[in-house]
Amino acid sequence: MERRSFIKMGGASIASAVLGSGLLSWVPRSEAATISKTYYITDGTLTMPDGVAVYFQSFSDATGTLTIPGSSIICQEGDTLSITVVNKLTKTHNFVIAGLLPTDPPLASTGNIASGATGKITYTIPTGKAGSYLFYDNVTSYNRFLGLHGGLAIMPSGKSNQLYSGSPTFVKQLFWIFNDIDPNLNSAVQRNATIPTSFTPRYFTINGQTSLPPGAVGNGDPTKDAMANPKTVLQGSIGNRTLIRMLNAGMASHAVHTHANHMEWLTDRGAKRPTVWKKDILYLRNNLGKIDSIFPFEAPPDSYPPTTTGHFPMHLHDEMSQTAGGGLYLFGAMTEIIFV
Amino acid sequence: MNGSMRFDDGNSVAIWGFTDTAAGQGQMDGMGGGSFPSPAIRVTEGQIVHTALTVPMMFMHTIHHHGIEPSWQNDGVGHISWDVTGGTYTYQWKAAHAGTYFYHCHVNTPLHAEMGMYGALIIDPKPNPNDPPGTKRAFAGGPIYDVEAIWACDEIDPALHTLQWAAGTCGGDVGLNNFHPKYFIITGVDGANSALTAPGIAVNMTLGQTLLVRYICAGFFPQKITFGGLTATIVSSDGRPLPSAVNVTSIEAASAERYDCIIKPTKTGTYTVNIQFLHWITGAVLGTAKTRINVS
Ligand SMILES: [Cu+2]
Ligand SMILES: [Cu+2]
Repeated sequence: MERRSFIKMGGASIASAVLGSGLLSWVPRSEAATISKTYYITDGTLTMPDGVAVYFQSFSDATGTLTIPGSSIICQEGDTLSITVVNKLTKTHNFVIAGLLPTDPPLASTGNIASGATGKITYTIPTGKAGSYLFYDNVTSYNRFLGLHGGLAIMPSGKSNQLYSGSPTFVKQLFWIFNDIDPNLNSAVQRNATIPTSFTPRYFTINGQTSLPPGAVGNGDPTKDAMANPKTVLQGSIGNRTLIRMLNAGMASHAVHTHANHMEWLTDRGAKRPTVWKKDILYLRNNLGKIDSIFPFEAPPDSYPPTTTGHFPMHLHDEMSQTAGGGLYLFGAMTEIIFV
Repeated sequence: MNGSMRFDDGNSVAIWGFTDTAAGQGQMDGMGGGSFPSPAIRVTEGQIVHTALTVPMMFMHTIHHHGIEPSWQNDGVGHISWDVTGGTYTYQWKAAHAGTYFYHCHVNTPLHAEMGMYGALIIDPKPNPNDPPGTKRAFAGGPIYDVEAIWACDEIDPALHTLQWAAGTCGGDVGLNNFHPKYFIITGVDGANSALTAPGIAVNMTLGQTLLVRYICAGFFPQKITFGGLTATIVSSDGRPLPSAVNVTSIEAASAERYDCIIKPTKTGTYTVNIQFLHWITGAVLGTAKTRINVS
């Protein structure tokens, strides 16, 4: 293997990756609160696993950096979101929180934010809106593919362990936000050139990172490796039921596959499933698809003799997504499931 | 197995697979003995299963029993568990849940699964002592069926079938992200024409019988299966019974999903089953595979 080619993620992302979307801690409040957050619309370059530098844009925590996905927000029904978005780029952007269901209007939006201007959302979340949301830039159909996206979790009022009031319960939660990157698109945006009319993604990320398997430079580094980022990795002991809020910010549909346990499938595209199915594959649609599921952390049922520990993968089963730059299997949208 | 598959248009592609030497098939010796898909593994719920994989060559392969959840040492994930190369490894697992699974190689999977390194894996429930001998059920306490079909639906991009087994693993663009399937198959048979009548794929049943379709989305792109106007009752998916059965006329499935469907035709006739293969970005229908349910 040419180890030198496994250079990954330039300096811009290192400071911010840890702040990115991931494991959420949550304590319910009896009082509503105001959740304040400022994002900066920024751009920059990241180095992909095959050594290619690709242009990105993001809702960053600070100017001069990239944060992909944007830092996630967790709040509860009744809270007021106070979101400030500063556009540091030369074109108009916006910040839209997509509705709970595909047919719903956006939950909230800044409206267009001109270059150098600041947009603002002040929105009090009504009851009945508990769930998982993608925020993104929809000034164009492709801005979200460039990295302009992130996750918002709304908890049911007063609940710490339910997705929606009365849902199956969990003890931990995290986001898996998927993206598919066609560098021709990113390059066209950077050069202000004609946008391609069709896409062929070459890189595939979960929470902004690819996996970097053993032997690769960056393997085990949580700021670079999706298999090592504690905000992406599913880690627990038996009974640590974990809610996974899957959001598809990218262009392709995906088949999300867990080893070791079937997932409990709670919602599809924001709608509660009529009954909870146990699935080892969940079909995450394109065009802003999303799924909530619980990974139950039960002893792997087919193990003989029984076991309660081990390392397993979560990967997408549309195997093209497990590559980078047309090769490099295991350098795609994949993370680890660790039974401790 | 290092063989080939011929399509209805006369073209063929290279196919790799697993052969069952105990059943008299040739080894993975490049001599072409074997079947595509690889032979089905069929076991009974509660059994401890040993799957011995022999790789008599320098190449690395594994068997991942998809949907089976064993210890990590027996999970067969290349690079993460370990690869099998130039020897035999015996996977040990317990068949805990009846249902439809499949097995496939988990090394350079975008290539090795595409090359055909998969087969069906069925876990039958333990026979119920209160059932007449020979009764077939989808799962314990589940529906009884008379006729069974296993449809592993897959799409083939001939461009990938020219690559070496390790293509792309050390870098370089070999096009593993750029999937352009041209052929659409059902359980190893071309769905353009041959699968319409192929024995073991086309279903022949009589009115009053119950059919169990084990539908396996064995490709990479999403698929939409329609049952020729018949209503299918989904009783189980991914090896787990549904809390309540669901009636459908079509199913859109993602890679590696399995759906067990009960079909009880109420009229004689010929029903043409369609599997459309959908582009993962555009949703465009890239091709269709067809077979039939003939009810006499
Ligand atoms: Cu797998
Ligand atoms: Cu699989």
